[in-house]
Amino acid sequence: MRVTLVIVAGLLLCSVTWTGAEGAGPLDERGAVKAVTCAACHGPAGNSRSSAMPIIAGLEPAYFKKQIEDYATGKRLSPEMEPYAKQVLNLGVDDVTAYFAARKREATPVTSPADAVGRGRTAAAQCTICHGPQGQGDAAKLIPSLAGQAPGYLREQMLLFKQDRRSPGDPTLAALKALMKTIPDETFGDLAAYYSSLR
Amino acid sequence: MRAVTRRAFLRTSGLGLGALAGGALAGCAASMKGDFAPKKGPRVVVIGGGWGGATAAKYVRQFDRTIEVVLIEPNRQFVSCPFSNLVLAGVRTIDSLTMGYDGLRKHGVRIIHETASAIEPDQKRVRLGEGYLQYDRLVVSPGVDFQWEQIEGLAQNQDKVLHAWKAGPQTVQLAQQLAAMPDGGVFVLSIPLAAYRCPPGPYERTSLVAWYLKTNKPKSKLIVLDANQNIISKAALFRAAWQAYPNIDYRPASRVIGVDPGAREVRTEFDKIRYDVVNVIPPQRAGAIAVQADLVGGDKRWCEVNHVTYQSVKQPGIHVIGDATIGLPVPKSGNIANAMGKITAAAVVNLINGKEPPTLAPGNTCYSWVSDREAIAVVNAYKIENGKVVQIEQKLTPAQSPLVAQRAIGWTQSIWADILA
Repeated sequence: MRVTLVIVAGLLLCSVTWTGAEGAGPLDERGAVKAVTCAACHGPAGNSRSSAMPIIAGLEPAYFKKQIEDYATGKRLSPEMEPYAKQVLNLGVDDVTAYFAARKREATPVTSPADAVGRGRTAAAQCTICHGPQGQGDAAKLIPSLAGQAPGYLREQMLLFKQDRRSPGDPTLAALKALMKTIPDETFGDLAAYYSSLR
Repeated sequence: MRAVTRRAFLRTSGLGLGALAGGALAGCAASMKGDFAPKKGPRVVVIGGGWGGATAAKYVRQFDRTIEVVLIEPNRQFVSCPFSNLVLAGVRTIDSLTMGYDGLRKHGVRIIHETASAIEPDQKRVRLGEGYLQYDRLVVSPGVDFQWEQIEGLAQNQDKVLHAWKAGPQTVQLAQQLAAMPDGGVFVLSIPLAAYRCPPGPYERTSLVAWYLKTNKPKSKLIVLDANQNIISKAALFRAAWQAYPNIDYRPASRVIGVDPGAREVRTEFDKIRYDVVNVIPPQRAGAIAVQADLVGGDKRWCEVNHVTYQSVKQPGIHVIGDATIGLPVPKSGNIANAMGKITAAAVVNLINGKEPPTLAPGNTCYSWVSDREAIAVVNAYKIENGKVVQIEQKLTPAQSPLVAQRAIGWTQSIWADILA
């Protein structure tokens, strides 16, 4: 018992350094409560640290809203996101997108081999036309930033575009899909490595 | 949120707790008697540091740093139940599912690694050792305990007949038993009647044990004795996955009523089955503290709660979350417990600050592995309607795939960080 007490007290003393890591944010902030469910997959404050789950912190609200609507209507196929998109629409999509737009985006910690990044840089020449020289995107045209995004997610999305399984028939994506059809599947890993490495 | 004054910062940050610990140190053993850590401001006590409780503790601090949070959890490390079936199959190590609580301490959560012995709702205090802790709001996330007495021979043979239904030492021991089983041996898995923790978990375990046997001990067999009438979660997807495992002998409506480790035999109402390795997942109820505090219903098993605030319908001053709850149309899953933790944290903070609790429903994301590299998933979305949680939609992955498995890995990384980092 005595040992336990000393350990408990020691732990208390150890907690003197207190740091407030950025997380859910204050409760009164717009969308903060409505966004809590998202962290389970997309990480604290939407900054996913995994390869497969996309970072949603700092997303442009208009782009974000279109994705939620496309998921909810089944245009963008995802068994995981379709129910959650409906839940977000039920809660108020503008509050949720406003919350994540205000979060500071932290680039993925997932690193890729330097040779894959190098090959991806070369292969990315055509992507820069829309996504910009640093993959920063163009908010006005609903073109998302790719810089620092999770590589597994990027690779999966490129495959879905190539196979026309993401938002089939969407005229705004026709040129993108035509380009993806010219790229061999194995190059998608290189492109994902390159764009995820950008800061 | 209120502006954090210097005084409030000192009170709720480590400095205030340091002073408190100094008092505890001075008195040592005596300090655990009586009110050993007097409350100096608003305080939330959380019992249970699993998926629900650890999340609730962290999020109260995230939402309002002027509130002191004390988490009572006997285990010094968090071991994830999700993904622990992969340890049985030798695909993951238990270390890869084991995490510390330092992340919560960085949020200013004070953690006491003891077992709460009782709750005194009238005095708003939790009994701990020979002393007690006072609270303004109490969150109880007690998990499940096993009803050993439901199966003859189980209570006295807990060291031989493993459950491995709380990730930890038993997970490793069962993996060792499986690895040591001779090729040609029989592994018997017993599944209790619903409700129990993690509805698809036993079927994921069936898949992974079958995968392990097929790969490593091809002459062996897996007999699954399911007390339920059919697979109770993701049934079509599991059935499809089991096409690859002719070594599975699945027997529905087969409730195990006895086990005899001497004869290496389990007994159902109609049959006796010999085994080389047995895994009995016993029937379950809410964790012991919920029974002690009279939070369970007439069945003495589960806790009915308000669907918005998670306050117990029997003890309105106490919030109950996670697998111990009943009455919501949600599964007993880690993702649901995590969501309940966050919603309850918001409710608790608002109630302490004299505001209305938010009206928010949880969500459920549930991945199951069906081999060493493929997984399936089910997702449920909910809303609040007339004060009750109602399902909006349920979706399943169309088929098992490695991509789903990659997203399962992504989910664990995100949700473990959401709970603990």
